[in-house]
Amino acid sequence: MQLYKERLERLEAVMKGKEPDRVPIYAATAVWHGAYAGYTTRDVLFNYEKSREAALKVARDFDFDAWAVIAGLEGMILCAAFIEKAPEIGVPARFLVGRFHEALKDVFTRWPGIELAENAHPQFIGKEVMSVEEYGQLAENPVDFLNKVILPRMCEKLQNPGSPEYNAALARFGLEVERYSSFFNSLIGGLISLGYPAIPMAWSYAPLDFIGDFLRDVRNVVLDLYRHPDKVKQAVKALTPLFVKTAAVSGFVPPEVKRALGTDMVLCFFPLHLNEYLNPKLYKEFYWPYLKKVFEEVIKLGQTPFVLFEGKHDAHLETLLDLPKKKVVGVFEKTDPRKVKEVAGDHVILVSGPPNALLIGGTPQKVEEFMKKLLEDVKEGGLMIWPGVDGGLSRDAKPENVKAMVEAIKKYGKY
Amino acid sequence: MRMAGEDFVKALSDLDEAKVIELTEKRIKSKEDPFSIIEDVRKATEIIGRRFEEGRYFVSDLIMAGEILKQVMDILRPVMGKRKGVSKGKVVVGTVEGDVHDIGLSIVTALLEAEGFEVVNLGVDQPPQAFIEAIRKHNPKVVGLSGLLTEAIESMKKTVEAIKAAGLRDKVKIIVGGGRVSGEVKEYTGADEWADDAAVGVRKIKALAEVA
Repeated sequence: MQLYKERLERLEAVMKGKEPDRVPIYAATAVWHGAYAGYTTRDVLFNYEKSREAALKVARDFDFDAWAVIAGLEGMILCAAFIEKAPEIGVPARFLVGRFHEALKDVFTRWPGIELAENAHPQFIGKEVMSVEEYGQLAENPVDFLNKVILPRMCEKLQNPGSPEYNAALARFGLEVERYSSFFNSLIGGLISLGYPAIPMAWSYAPLDFIGDFLRDVRNVVLDLYRHPDKVKQAVKALTPLFVKTAAVSGFVPPEVKRALGTDMVLCFFPLHLNEYLNPKLYKEFYWPYLKKVFEEVIKLGQTPFVLFEGKHDAHLETLLDLPKKKVVGVFEKTDPRKVKEVAGDHVILVSGPPNALLIGGTPQKVEEFMKKLLEDVKEGGLMIWPGVDGGLSRDAKPENVKAMVEAIKKYGKY
Repeated sequence: MRMAGEDFVKALSDLDEAKVIELTEKRIKSKEDPFSIIEDVRKATEIIGRRFEEGRYFVSDLIMAGEILKQVMDILRPVMGKRKGVSKGKVVVGTVEGDVHDIGLSIVTALLEAEGFEVVNLGVDQPPQAFIEAIRKHNPKVVGLSGLLTEAIESMKKTVEAIKAAGLRDKVKIIVGGGRVSGEVKEYTGADEWADDAAVGVRKIKALAEVA
């Protein structure tokens, strides 16, 4: 357990705003472990035993500090819909995995071996399932609206509430959630025994992203901001407490579990999507105030927001200064980490890393050069590395390049 | 009439949807040549692209612009009849095999059409052979390979290699585009250019088609 303790201390130190002994590596993927072990994406997404075996092989062959397999696509709508009445379903259904897609036939996602080729990456495409006239209904009672109106439109198998097909689909979904949970727990157990720390993660969301991703679709929500600003605002306001609730429920960790894991930290996961799309005026009016409110409440709960600032966040960096200092961990996908430091200083805990293009198309030497420069430029005060900073390790990231990244961090990432 | 044109360019480049539609209808009613309206659309599109590159406009603004452009073209199409404007050339675009995203593809298509290109949009999840057939059939100046996933990078490389193996590489310029595309991806895939946003993509396609 020495390794577990050493890695945990490193991760905790940096995420609490301090410099650890060296820069930690938080690696995550959907399918890269499968490619590494010689499996197709279909194999590892639909066969939990293969996924577990491949993930443990990576855990043994690579020296990351944290290692997570996120086997699903964006599925926060399931978490939000079930969180009140069935948290034991809503919490583990946070990511929509292939087997849930099979059970529910959601119209949002596409999967290898179903709609896509065997080795394709699964994809979230989304669909407009709510009309502009329904914003008021959403605002009135979000959870009720999601369950009664949206789930039947989002899932082909749930089209007729009360029908035999509907009941069968929900029962099957519950079964698949249970199967996925046991896979996930057994994977965590395996990783712990290999010295990989488990830091609990809670679930939340930016209210406007929820409308864009699951209800109106991205293009429509953007047009709504120009055409129906008041309706949108009323709805994001109503959704804000829901994402404090999802965090509170999913982030509740019993004291005995905290003791067993050796940590009192609870991270709260936020993937931001519309941030890159919105101009600063729209961002400050419709996106940031509500997200900020959720951040503040989640911090009050004792959780640490773990935020993926997807795309380019450059235009909105100054708003980070509105947050309490060193309470938010930020992964910046396409924003130069040097620029983040320049604008936000050490206000947010910085996470950066090599882009997948480099891990796919580069060489170990190029990776080492990139890492050396990155670490020299921004490691001061605390930094964490997220390999494949644009979405986690890509299926095609070359193992020798990932190895070179780890070695470079050991060489240039010490404090 | 000159005033109407200036107002129109300003309203469109400022993304004032209601005013653009009102002015378009007014100009049609006063029997103005639709092609002079199209020329103003091109001018406004250029301003929008420039504002995006200067960091004054964002993707949300490009989405709104695309929406307004679509409505203007819907009004103009019936009055243009069978007459065609001067084409700046053909461009074939599509999302590569294994990737089914199309938001970037749609924005680029709308902007290129507003600029006067004839765009053949193959759609999403297109295998290398589909690009090869489209090159043979349409003889485009430029081919745009789109993709959002990092897994699209490998598909882009395969597509460029297949175009080369078919003996067509010298006939077209190739640009790779998408949120995760970079100079590194251009090198790796063997493309001529790259873009990670729609406005830069359109500017580079114009340069590749030698009409910039």
